[in-house]
Amino acid sequence: MTDNHSASHEAGTQRHRLEGPQKHIIVFVLSMVLTIIAFAAVASGDLNKMFVIFLLLGMAIVQVFAQLAFWMHMKDRGHLFPIIGIVGGAFVVVMLVALALLWTWW
Amino acid sequence: MAAHAHTVKRYPGFWGWLWDWLTTVDHKKIGILYLVAGGFFFVIGGIEALFIRLQLIQPLNDFVSEDTFNEIITMHGTTMIFLGAMPVIFALMNAVVPLQIGARDVAFPFVNALGFWTFFFGGLLLNVAWLTGEVPDAGWTAYPPLATTAYSSHHGVDYFVLGLQISGIGSLLGGINFMATIINMRAPGMTFMRMPMFTWASFITSALIVFAFPALTVGLVAMMFDRIFAANFFDVGAGGNIVLWEHIFWLFGHPEVYILILPAFGIISEVISTFSRKRLFGYSTMVFATLLIAFLGFMVWAHHMFTTGLGPVANAIFSIGTMAIAVPTGIKVFNWLLTMWGGSIRFTAANLFAIGFIPTFVMGGVTGVMLASAPADFQYHDSYFVVAHFHYTIVGGLITGLFAGIHYWWPKMFGRMLHEGLGKLTFWTYMIGFHLTFFVQHFLGLLGMPRRVATYLPNQGFDTMNLVSTIGALLMAIGILIFFINVVITSLKPRHATNDPWEDGRTLEWAIPSPAPEYNFKQIPLIRGLDAWWKEKMEGNKEMKPAEPVGPIHMPSPSILPFIMSVGLFISGFGFMYNLVVAGIGLAITLVCMLLRSVFDDHGYHIEPEEHKKGEVPA
Amino acid sequence: MSAHEHAGALPPEPEKATLEGRNKILGFWLFLGAETVLFGTLFSAYLALKRSVLDGPRPEELFQLPMTFIMTVVLLVSSLTSVFAVQALHRHKKGSMLGWMAVTIALGLVFLGLEIYEFNEYVHEGHRFTTSAFSSSFYSLVGFHGGHVLFGVLWIGLLILQILKKGLTVVTAPKVYVSAIYWHFIDVVWVFIFTVVYLMGKV
Repeated sequence: MTDNHSASHEAGTQRHRLEGPQKHIIVFVLSMVLTIIAFAAVASGDLNKMFVIFLLLGMAIVQVFAQLAFWMHMKDRGHLFPIIGIVGGAFVVVMLVALALLWTWW
Repeated sequence: MAAHAHTVKRYPGFWGWLWDWLTTVDHKKIGILYLVAGGFFFVIGGIEALFIRLQLIQPLNDFVSEDTFNEIITMHGTTMIFLGAMPVIFALMNAVVPLQIGARDVAFPFVNALGFWTFFFGGLLLNVAWLTGEVPDAGWTAYPPLATTAYSSHHGVDYFVLGLQISGIGSLLGGINFMATIINMRAPGMTFMRMPMFTWASFITSALIVFAFPALTVGLVAMMFDRIFAANFFDVGAGGNIVLWEHIFWLFGHPEVYILILPAFGIISEVISTFSRKRLFGYSTMVFATLLIAFLGFMVWAHHMFTTGLGPVANAIFSIGTMAIAVPTGIKVFNWLLTMWGGSIRFTAANLFAIGFIPTFVMGGVTGVMLASAPADFQYHDSYFVVAHFHYTIVGGLITGLFAGIHYWWPKMFGRMLHEGLGKLTFWTYMIGFHLTFFVQHFLGLLGMPRRVATYLPNQGFDTMNLVSTIGALLMAIGILIFFINVVITSLKPRHATNDPWEDGRTLEWAIPSPAPEYNFKQIPLIRGLDAWWKEKMEGNKEMKPAEPVGPIHMPSPSILPFIMSVGLFISGFGFMYNLVVAGIGLAITLVCMLLRSVFDDHGYHIEPEEHKKGEVPA
Repeated sequence: MSAHEHAGALPPEPEKATLEGRNKILGFWLFLGAETVLFGTLFSAYLALKRSVLDGPRPEELFQLPMTFIMTVVLLVSSLTSVFAVQALHRHKKGSMLGWMAVTIALGLVFLGLEIYEFNEYVHEGHRFTTSAFSSSFYSLVGFHGGHVLFGVLWIGLLILQILKKGLTVVTAPKVYVSAIYWHFIDVVWVFIFTVVYLMGKV
């Protein structure tokens, strides 16, 4: 709570175009579609297992990107450090998945 | 927000003084709290170290029993790393970073206090184990199945798990706080590439904390669930996996050692350049090297697991990654040397520690490269060679660096300079003692002496070196004692330190009085380059140019909630071990405090310009 | 901090109008970086242990796709309503914002109710926390997520009450924004849970 009139922090005082809900609804529809495809692929039971796994991961990743970018505003300016935060976390998660799948044995 | 500012109620007398310290949200005071608490736990860890060395002074000794020895080595490691070293690091970060970036406090003063008190009560919970007789004894690494209830049925490991969990919350909060502070609150003109190296090191260390500690959190939760709620993460009979613990622990544990050493690197950069009267050589490279060390630090954890059976491919990958980290580290060493080259060097006590750091840490680093070779590690693993390596890096490296920083920034924190003669005496006794203690341990390891064993048979070539090592430890203890005597003597002197007592200060903290006033900067300064204060001095200015007019300064209010929240967690720790209702009560206390904090907004208070001159930190 | 305002008028993006607000938002994103690693570690344990079923029911037998799908849709819709709440925040429409927040937590409660029902079914089928390594890691991962949903519901509920009392200000706005980011995040985590745990469990 300290007084810091630093010139580098202009707090959103520029004229700001209020965005409509359209883009967000598109992301919602996209997320639903991706989710339905994923569930359908598994429910059908017929498809090749490896293909389904890649499809599921693909659907999930696209959906997550869309939600991060639009719903969580990560595509907007001023989000460098949020991006670093999430990407840094994701980087460590890559290590975690590798160790679980490749390097645990009994 | 024109705050409904009110003046802070200050109570008189001893209770008023105590209340002030229990409720402070001021980073400078919190820094002192971390220093005192860290010093306290460091002494406990040091006594544990002396007991280890006394037990090992001669073969077949019976100073302590085997079981007690296991408890002592466990507590020594855990206490020193989490409760001794890390708090002192946070002490210096708190004391220095906001000043170095021209800020009036950290981004979240309340959370800063909370971080301290959770650390403190977590550490207290862990050490209360000594009083109950149920002390953790599975090593600071707590590998299952030894650490599971099957082989550690008393509450010892529970104290470890719960104490560390609570303490770890404090570390994570601190990491987030310093990252946000450094990102958002730098003074105008201070771009990232104009930040002092200690601030850069603090920033990168904080990022490491944010990304590494949650893994430990989950590991400890899993261990706690196994021990207390009969889960099966690490119970092989129920399908659990013990290598999983090692992975998770070391995925945290390796970045943890970089969390320990990077701040020391930052300190060395500051101290060496100040006392060489010369700017740091290769600043951008130093920044980049630190980033690279941090990044690579997440990719080498399995070098602690070479002998588990990962296989040659994995071992090779982790070997190479580990060796690669030596490169940016080496760059830093050369840059420190090149900073000194051609400089006008002053051998103050702080600088002695910084210069002593360099060869000592390099020795630790090169044994690290030896250990990095997986086939060779099959011989070194679990021997005293490893013990020698990590003590060279952590004690010879980090602790030496912390002593440099403590001596260097003492005047800024306390308004007094530590006695130089005693400081130098501390340096020589501690350094000679250190090398006596740990140099011989390389050879003990190479001769085959295993680590974590309570005794050894005579006539294997271990006897004399163990004796020498113990004598070294006693000398180190004397050095530490001299330091504490220095602290006491200094505290009796009046507060005469000027704002730039070393006269060669390069960075912003030396532009303001010692100790810093409550609000740090009367006016936030304008930064015109790297080594901002030096730049102004060289142009003949006595002060920094201000970036804002004089005006009322808005400060955050103190609060007792961080203390109470930590007490709640402390109580819940006991509850999880002995009575789940108590656990619930403890957690409820903490949650209610969070609710109160959310509902009752802190409007802070103002320090008016007339008060600025008197704005001194009452100690 | 106080220099830009006219008495009474909220600035655009009120959550970013003060240094405290910007700090809170940034600090929260950094916390989400930590949470990413936290959930990542829980996922890691699950991936390592998911085949250790012992005598308990296997994932293919346990997981019901229709139920999982409904839970997913509920959480997804609640994430959308949370977006609408923030849009109302930017338009300074307090009533609208509070309405969307209320819908969000109502859906969150539905999600939790379904999850409790689901877990209860599993327990009756012999899949308990202590059954096997698979079950311990399953309940830890999915349970921690559920715990986060519960915390979110309580937090947003508390914020609704606070704003009814204190109104929408540059102090309360960052709290709403941050709670929305949190809510989106737990939906993102759920995307990975339904993909990796439920869907891949049935493949």
